[in-house]
Amino acid sequence: MTREAAYEKLNEVFRDVFDDEEIVVNDSTTSSDIEDWDSLEHINLVSAVEQAFGIKFSMGQVVTMKNVGEMVDIILGQVD
Amino acid sequence: MSFTSFSFLCFYVCTLIVYYLFPAKIRWVLLLVASVVYYLLSGNSILILYPIAACLAAYAGICFMERFEETKKRRAALVVVVLLLVGSLFVLKYVNFGIYTINGIAGIFRGGRGIISGFQFLIPLGISFYTFSILGYVIDVYNKIAEPQKNFLKLALYGMYFPAILSGPILRYREDGEQFFQPHPFDYKQVTFGFQRMLWGFFKTLVISERMKLIVNTVYDNYADYSGIYIWIATICFALQLYTNFSGSMDIALGVSQTFGIKLPENFETPFFSKTIAEYWRRWHITLGVWMKEYVFYPLLRTQTFAKLGKRCREKFGKKRGKQLTTFTAMLILWFTVGVWHGGAWKYVIGSGLLHWFYIVMGELLSPAYKKLMEKCHICTDGKGLDLWRMIRTFFLVNIGFVFFRADSAAAACHMLASAVRIGNVGALLHGSLFSLGLDFIEFTIAIVSLLILFTISLLQQKIDVREWIAQKRIIIRWAIWYALLFYVILLGYYGPGYSAAEFIYQGF
Repeated sequence: MTREAAYEKLNEVFRDVFDDEEIVVNDSTTSSDIEDWDSLEHINLVSAVEQAFGIKFSMGQVVTMKNVGEMVDIILGQVD
Repeated sequence: MSFTSFSFLCFYVCTLIVYYLFPAKIRWVLLLVASVVYYLLSGNSILILYPIAACLAAYAGICFMERFEETKKRRAALVVVVLLLVGSLFVLKYVNFGIYTINGIAGIFRGGRGIISGFQFLIPLGISFYTFSILGYVIDVYNKIAEPQKNFLKLALYGMYFPAILSGPILRYREDGEQFFQPHPFDYKQVTFGFQRMLWGFFKTLVISERMKLIVNTVYDNYADYSGIYIWIATICFALQLYTNFSGSMDIALGVSQTFGIKLPENFETPFFSKTIAEYWRRWHITLGVWMKEYVFYPLLRTQTFAKLGKRCREKFGKKRGKQLTTFTAMLILWFTVGVWHGGAWKYVIGSGLLHWFYIVMGELLSPAYKKLMEKCHICTDGKGLDLWRMIRTFFLVNIGFVFFRADSAAAACHMLASAVRIGNVGALLHGSLFSLGLDFIEFTIAIVSLLILFTISLLQQKIDVREWIAQKRIIIRWAIWYALLFYVILLGYYGPGYSAAEFIYQGF
């Protein structure tokens, strides 16, 4: 999977989780850029991403990923 | 050995001098020795075996995880360590809670007679704090986000570090751990800033908290004799007592640590300025909130059970409501755990746990209706007046929880809340009865002036680093401020009749 394809799919997940069709994420997007992205939504988001890509984040990754770029790195590492 | 005792001051000064006389590379060894001595002098010395055993269990688990790569074996090691640490915490602190609850239920059918007798345990000081610091570290090593510590003595220092062991803050090795072992050269600014922080802690504890305690004890120890406005005054005083006591002990712990060049995590961020209950918990006992979120709430939501529950709820109640329902269920377990952490009694489970869960759930459910009401009434939601109202509302709700926290039992708290509603006695305050609650006019005035100082500094802390701000002033002003505070504490610190060092409320946890 290419990084672009991952972002395309990831944008859909973000829009679905946060109920906002305008969301476009990139490498530097963090929780402070999306209004409803608090600690609760973080877990919902992680579960939705896991389902969409058929992958599993470790608990360590869940609590340490700093931005969407790191999330995509993990996704690509597991999908490939 | 309480932070406000003379013996602690002597112990601390000796430790500090020897610390900087030691070669920088092995200063951590001195801190370990000091931590052991401190624990031995702080209570029943034999109980030191508990934190040592906890460190040994963690060390064995970490070594095992380090040796084996297979997830199954690593998980088995983690399970054993978790069972040992949580098991000892459970047995020492919560067995009697279970027994008393069973007896309470059985008593309904057996005319008040219980069926099991409780146990008498000697509980090691700070067990809830060191257990959580160590447990979090072992879980992080399992998750491969913290480096495994191969030196047992270093791990023991992290687990038993004396400024933090009795009442926190709860540490996180991956953020706070390594600095314990780094060489910290003498830094004049760090040492003086540490002293200043300690002084601020003594001010909060000795000048304010100890005075508030007198009013609180008068009313809460004789609650049947008081109603209405007296209960509210005593409860607000308790909120201030607990805050100044706990955050004051944190100021001392962080200040002591800063003089060693070690930065501990902050535990408070002016929590009574919070506008919602959720915000309050992000600013009150911060390290406990972070710990609970990371090691209880997140893993719980990621279990198969909750994944299935979430799916079912979404199918049945729709996406938004389904998500809310799953989250609320996980939060119920989280807040029950937070309540139980505070103590093995229903008054803690309700006052520091379930009641706050109820507040947050109601806040979420009523939020759309509240927004509509604001729109209908054309009230600007960004106004400062509304913010002030939100702060008062949050403070009031938190105080209801404090009634449970401080009362002898949940039943006593309910009794007090019922009699607090009768506020027809407000007028009694005008006749001087306020000064019959434990503080005379002069003492009461000292308390009010000190609270005003605390309030002003807290307001300033929202915008600036007060110590840095003072440090930029001319030397005369700088010294005048700190000496004024020092003499204020020495002269007005409440030592009371038959003074014994101020007890820290969270120390028993």
